Amino acid sequence: MKKTGKRSLAGKIALDMIVFVALAVAMGVAAGVALAGLTLVFASQAAAAEAPQQGTLLLRPRAAGEALNAPLLSTAVAFQVSGMVARAHVVQTFRNPGDDWYEGVYVFPLPENAAVDRLRLRIGERTIEGEIQERATAQRTYAAARAQGSRAVLMDQERPNIFTTRVANIGPRETIVVELEYQETLRYQDGRFSLRFPMVVGPRYIPHGVTDAARITPPVLRPQEGHAPVNPVSIRVQLDAGVPLDEVSSPFHQVDIKTLGEGRREITLAEGNTPANRDFVLRWAPRRAAAPQLAWFTEKQGERYYALLMLMPPAPASGTRLPREVIFVLDTSGSMAGASIRQAREALVLALERLGPQDRFNVIEFNSTARALFSAAREASGAQVRRAIDWVRGLEARGGTEMSAALQLALTGQDRSAGVRQVIFLTDGAVGNEEELFRLIHDRLGDSRLFTVGIGSAPNSHFMRNAAELGRGTFTYIGRIDEVGDRMVELFAKLEAPVLKGVTLQWPDAAHAESWPARIPDLYAGEPLVVSAALEQLTGELRISGLRAGRVWEGRVPLSTGQSGAGMASLWARAKVASLMNSLREGAPSDAVRGQVIALASAHRLVTRYTSFVAVERAPARPPEARLERAEMPTNLPEGWEYEKVFGELPQGATDSRFALLTGLACLLLAAALFQWQRRLA
Amino acid sequence: MKRDRELCLGVECAWPEAQSGSAATLRRRGAGRLQLILVALLLALGGWQFARGAWIQAKAWLAQVLIAQAWQRALAGERNAKPWAWADTWPVARLSIPSLGIERYVLEGSDGAALAFGPGHLRGTALPGEGGNSVIGGHRDTHLAFLRALRAGDEIVVETRDGRRLRYVVRDARVLDRRDLWIAGQEGPARLTLVTCYPFDALRAGGAQRYVVSAYAIDELKNRGGERADRTSHLL
Repeated sequence: MKKTGKRSLAGKIALDMIVFVALAVAMGVAAGVALAGLTLVFASQAAAAEAPQQGTLLLRPRAAGEALNAPLLSTAVAFQVSGMVARAHVVQTFRNPGDDWYEGVYVFPLPENAAVDRLRLRIGERTIEGEIQERATAQRTYAAARAQGSRAVLMDQERPNIFTTRVANIGPRETIVVELEYQETLRYQDGRFSLRFPMVVGPRYIPHGVTDAARITPPVLRPQEGHAPVNPVSIRVQLDAGVPLDEVSSPFHQVDIKTLGEGRREITLAEGNTPANRDFVLRWAPRRAAAPQLAWFTEKQGERYYALLMLMPPAPASGTRLPREVIFVLDTSGSMAGASIRQAREALVLALERLGPQDRFNVIEFNSTARALFSAAREASGAQVRRAIDWVRGLEARGGTEMSAALQLALTGQDRSAGVRQVIFLTDGAVGNEEELFRLIHDRLGDSRLFTVGIGSAPNSHFMRNAAELGRGTFTYIGRIDEVGDRMVELFAKLEAPVLKGVTLQWPDAAHAESWPARIPDLYAGEPLVVSAALEQLTGELRISGLRAGRVWEGRVPLSTGQSGAGMASLWARAKVASLMNSLREGAPSDAVRGQVIALASAHRLVTRYTSFVAVERAPARPPEARLERAEMPTNLPEGWEYEKVFGELPQGATDSRFALLTGLACLLLAAALFQWQRRLA
Repeated sequence: MKRDRELCLGVECAWPEAQSGSAATLRRRGAGRLQLILVALLLALGGWQFARGAWIQAKAWLAQVLIAQAWQRALAGERNAKPWAWADTWPVARLSIPSLGIERYVLEGSDGAALAFGPGHLRGTALPGEGGNSVIGGHRDTHLAFLRALRAGDEIVVETRDGRRLRYVVRDARVLDRRDLWIAGQEGPARLTLVTCYPFDALRAGGAQRYVVSAYAIDELKNRGGERADRTSHLL
């Protein structure tokens, strides 16, 4: 009796459990189906808000095992710095370790204001000097040489800061060297000079309508796959500051600094060389008392004198601070993932904390789409600022870089009579449609001011500088998280107001001066006026005038007092080319501009958008029966970037449904068992 | 049933009894209540998890029905025929494997939002029929679970929006890392690249491996050949 009772009890419990679980499962399924209907509504609405992506990152990662014997590349750079000008000598060595004949293609960056004026091809002891030709002609010259088996090199400009060298017919186990030289003016800001040498073209987001995408996106080596970073670079800087030096530092690389004199140093990389994966920056500050207020360099070439002027504006006049409206724009695209977004968030939080109660503000973030925190700018009360800080801290980086959407949100194109409107734009500028964006800034600026803050290890300096110039603001770089504080304080000092507005230059008539830039930007605290000029004679004086806190300010420079400096002509021509290219955006006829640029570049031997360097060895080297392989030099991912966030990955191919079903079922079973057990106890 | 009610009442009327009961009964009552709470929690959690899992599956298969209707409209000439009014994706192809009796509607885009409803076409790669490499991703536990059963030599038929029916034959399958984007390269012959997560039996999503099936275009089914001939003669 007892036994059967027990058995029937056990049977009952089992039955109960089965019914219980079956009911629960049925309810789960029903709930699931109901929810599915609901999510068809909600999930896709949420997705719709994300909007279809218009552009894509070019899929150009390297295939596994591709071209193992492709040529290897190394770079050596030597800088000669004198005063505020640097001359760089860049040596790119292509070494072919295999038995095939190769054409090597290397896409690389240079400073955006570099005047590339010399190129040589070196094969063993022989040197062939490059010549400037129109871009299309140069490409034909090169293609012909390549086809007939001659060694040749072609250097094109893709963007003011992106160049390509192509080296044809690198023979088996042969080394070919390309030497190029450029001249640049150094950046002098907040009492410090800085020399910047970019080393890698970061992967760029290519929105619709960019036609030369393949030319600005070299293949990127995937990190951590057993291969070390490629493209070692060695750097040597001969620094002759011309004034006693206070400090010399390289924030991103370990360097050895040798003191050669009061204002002279020799700087080399401590480890000999470094992989090309982040910008090299060298900074130095003249001793306070010796900080230059004015520099005037001249050089005679042919019939003309070429000159460079640097003038520090007077100290800012302290006045009452105007209430302002500040719009912060933060790039949260995939290229910002990792170290960059942390720097940017930190900088933005710092900026938000500095807002006063009289200010108004808004924050915009963008990746594939742009979103604003508030629908319109709000007063910067404690509560609103805290809300903004929380929002910013929660932002993650992923997706595309649809910068134009963000600029359209930030720049309304309206003029406001009261106060100042400032747009602070934090980005790495990793986009391929710079021109379109410049045009947008030009058209919609109104009376806003645009300040760019370049973030990360390899920001697009061409974008930063030009956008700020068009936006009549300044640009700032933040290369590392521990720099955020200092750089943002400097930026805020500038934000208050320009020190000198409406600057005009008056050259003596007899000089027949031609100076660039044509329109002098407003000068902010710590920023000098830099002008390149060509003159017929050095007599009389230059009068510089502008408005300082509402009053007229005037400075004078006697032209005959210049120091002599080399390379002023190249710098002048480069500045003129930049101005001409910018005039395209304002509607200058493109044929006329093209003609002027080509004439100028031919006279001064400059690489521009329309002219390229080409050097060809006459005698063919490759036998006609040997095949020519082509190799695009892979580049490293910039330091701190995350590969998956930039390139995306293959589609995610699974859901959690099985896991959810299984754990759900386990929980239900456990619940049923517990319930039965308790019933038995009770 | 009676015991159940007693139990419920017992819980509700625990106070007066507890005052008179022994320490042991008290402890047991306490433990019983705790267990009940535990049961309720487990029920809630289990129900929630189960519903979540069921809902992913239900959504996946319900959506295909709606997409099938949109596909008919697409074939009839509607551009970007959306399966439901607020959708931000639309069918771009119909995939079938005659030997397995499988039919799937491929959506535009391979982000999570599209993959929940069907296999998705990776933007920036060719569409079937355009030449080049058409990359299609999908979930291994819903729409692309059949990839596991595909063998070299199997035939895949893809119907395009203009009604052409293209035949592909499976050449190989391999396991890659999710970052192996070179497989999505556009150079080379017309082909399909079907991507899903790997291993097939893994429970959780988010693994690093992908199972990739490559199928190469061989020809078009006859009806299209006829069309083409017609078109040519019309042109002539």
